[in-house]
Amino acid sequence: MSERKARVTVTIDPSLAAYAERLVETGKADSVSAVVNSALSERVERDRRIRRRWKEITDRADRGKVARMMAHIEAQREQLPPSHR
Amino acid sequence: MSDSEGAAPHPYVLDVSTLVAIARGDEGIMNLAQTLDGQGRPLVLPVLALTAASLDARSDDADELLEGMELLEGAMTAPVRDTEQALALAEVIARTGLDPWDAHVAAVADASVCPILTLDPDKWREHAHDLDELLHFVEIADPDDT
Repeated sequence: MSERKARVTVTIDPSLAAYAERLVETGKADSVSAVVNSALSERVERDRRIRRRWKEITDRADRGKVARMMAHIEAQREQLPPSHR
Repeated sequence: MSDSEGAAPHPYVLDVSTLVAIARGDEGIMNLAQTLDGQGRPLVLPVLALTAASLDARSDDADELLEGMELLEGAMTAPVRDTEQALALAEVIARTGLDPWDAHVAAVADASVCPILTLDPDKWREHAHDLDELLHFVEIADPDDT
């Protein structure tokens, strides 16, 4: 990523901090920041993949059926006591 | 909103049957969850119910679909957070005879005063009166299928 890095302060588990430092010491990462950056990038990619998969599946849904189920839920909700609506 | 003006809508507590359908990739139920979320309806995911749904499917694909629930805007997991909650869960298991995952759903619904969203209304009909307060549930069904 070419944009300027943001400086943030985070707290992480001591074992994870030690692992990140070991990666740096053994030349497997440039810095602890690089390790954290990489982990977050992987998380972003994973969440995107899951969202794409959800979209692919939900796009196949029968909209009419979903609308009928929603109406059925709404009708029952109106019968619930106010404390549960 | 027909109830208390301006109040946030009550969450639905998703039970094992609903989460199993999502883990199996049921497009209608997933779309329904997404639609409810889009309408601002918070969805509560009891962690033991997630465990049961994952056990039912036992695949990375299914687990990813369950993880996708947590990416919905208004979805939140309900953990067994501390000793008090662990003991309260034991009490619900003892009183209802439900499996721990179903009992966790009941415990969360009871403590949070929220209805359970389910594909298995018979289960909750049977156990609705087991606790001090009535357990309320909302059935997911297409009336045209009956």
